[in-house]
Amino acid sequence: MIDPMAVAADVLVAAVGIATPLALAATGETIAERSGVVNLGVEGAMLFGALGGAIGATAVGPVVGLGIGVLAGVLVAALFAAVAIGAGADQIITGTAVTLVSVGLTGTIYRQFYGPAGVGLSLPTLSPLPLPILSDTPLIGSALFAQPVTTYAAAALIPLTWYLLFRTRFGLALRAVGEDPPAARAAGVSVRMVRTWAVLLGGACAGLAGATLVLAQVGTFTERMTAGRGFIAIAIVVLGRWNPVGAGLAALLFGLATALQFALQAAGLKVPYQFFLMFPYLLTLLALAGAVGRVKAPAALGRNEY
Amino acid sequence: MIAARALGWVLAGVLLASCATREAPAPFRVALITPGSIADAAWNSGAFTGLGQIHDSLGVPISHVEARTPAEQEEALRTYAAQGYDLIFGHGFEFQSPAERVSADYPAVVFIITSGERVQGNVAPLIFRLSEASYLAGMVAGGLTKSNVIGFVGGVELPPVREASEAWVAGARAVNPEVQSRTTYLNNWDDAALGREAARALIRVGADMLHHNADAAAIGVFQAAKEAPGVYLFGANADQTELAPSRVVGSAVIDLPRALLLVAREVQSGTFTPRVESFGLGSGVVQYVPNLALDSMIPVALAERVRAAEDSIRQRDGQ
Repeated sequence: MIDPMAVAADVLVAAVGIATPLALAATGETIAERSGVVNLGVEGAMLFGALGGAIGATAVGPVVGLGIGVLAGVLVAALFAAVAIGAGADQIITGTAVTLVSVGLTGTIYRQFYGPAGVGLSLPTLSPLPLPILSDTPLIGSALFAQPVTTYAAAALIPLTWYLLFRTRFGLALRAVGEDPPAARAAGVSVRMVRTWAVLLGGACAGLAGATLVLAQVGTFTERMTAGRGFIAIAIVVLGRWNPVGAGLAALLFGLATALQFALQAAGLKVPYQFFLMFPYLLTLLALAGAVGRVKAPAALGRNEY
Repeated sequence: MIAARALGWVLAGVLLASCATREAPAPFRVALITPGSIADAAWNSGAFTGLGQIHDSLGVPISHVEARTPAEQEEALRTYAAQGYDLIFGHGFEFQSPAERVSADYPAVVFIITSGERVQGNVAPLIFRLSEASYLAGMVAGGLTKSNVIGFVGGVELPPVREASEAWVAGARAVNPEVQSRTTYLNNWDDAALGREAARALIRVGADMLHHNADAAAIGVFQAAKEAPGVYLFGANADQTELAPSRVVGSAVIDLPRALLLVAREVQSGTFTPRVESFGLGSGVVQYVPNLALDSMIPVALAERVRAAEDSIRQRDGQ
């Protein structure tokens, strides 16, 4: 009765959809971490991106919502940069504080705008844009080529980021700052400036990721709706070995695990779906332990002295 | 997890700070602790509305916090009790054991656990037999389904949630023995994007009637139904018709404000004795509320069967 091929194709569609915000946020965090900054405020930037997206879409439309979401993410990242880079505070503590502030503040702002009872607002969403011909490819056609515009944005952002990091002067300076800040400084690179730009770019990606959740998926804002995706993105950066292409693939793996466990539950199979949820984390741990290829973090990651 | 814990400390700090300004003699005061956001348009928002009505009707000071983890929940209970609140609502099954531990130290405080389990000292449960309304929703779904597949999205697999899911399936099977049911748990009450994915997975295997018990995460279930032609759903805990007016056939509703106000009034007047207070369809606190705009969808014979089932449950309640 149910065509297994069609089910597999649908699972892939869901996997890519779930992976999109993760890939966006992880790509942004890869930029920040390559410059030597661990930004645990990603979760907060995503939440603000989601709220900004909702407000922008209510006021004007979904495309403006995406723009406001990006802007909101940049602002949260700027707060982090001011404290962690400008004032030289501990990155981990600053990032945690930024996320905590964001959780509280987005909830408060949301209730101010839309009332405490929170009747779910219904926003216009970005519908899938099927690319002609390509989207008819069997199995993977609709997963890769019939997605909302934000998925294409993520797909474009990954090679662009790779190019930025590994093929431009700015990328070279950025990686130098992440590996050996004193040497970079001796070569005339402003460590603070480069790190600030890296964090702001990361914030823009996180904001877009949050707006994607609202405008390409749920169609509404709910408090804490990012539900830890910012932290998963940080794990994805590790699993992706501080490379945007790796981050994209790792995000897909997380997306696939989630999509698969829902498909199994919906099929009524009595399998422990928790195992599938655990799987990508297990892989991340293994990656950290050096079992899945050799992993080397930027040498100056998390360190402020330079 | 660290984030949630730290937030709890901040909340506790705010509570302690407010404690300093307490004047004597302390008036009757009521506190509510919800396990999630009060902007969920369902379980938590209903309790918060009830707290507001307690303030308005009884003219007593009130307070509310959200506490998500077991550690925060116990901390919040203890903080309110230490501040001398007279009545503390722990809004959900998960508050039962923390309240039992805390209440041992505060025998003068009444702890009411909504969807709780049992009476223990001054801890008393308010039990909502939401499953009676979910059963009626299931009957409607069983009569309306074209694919003979119905789906349920649960937040966390707690006993009250499982009961609602089982009653929904039983109701559907009572009308249509052919019905197959699928249940998906999110392990989460907040993640609306996951709620949507879970619902989409159910729709993919053919489910055309959905029901949920997932608080804020369920907003994603409504979104998934709106995106899929021919899929209808049933709200839970509150009348959720306006989340998807053309797709919500009805809602299994708990009139939380009414139940909370009833208890608060009793505790304030001093007539309250800890007992298991249970509300079903007969009490009017639990109801099945149809979406009148979709009434024409429901065949007359089905509507009559549902009404008959409702009457017999009410009568059983009355005995």
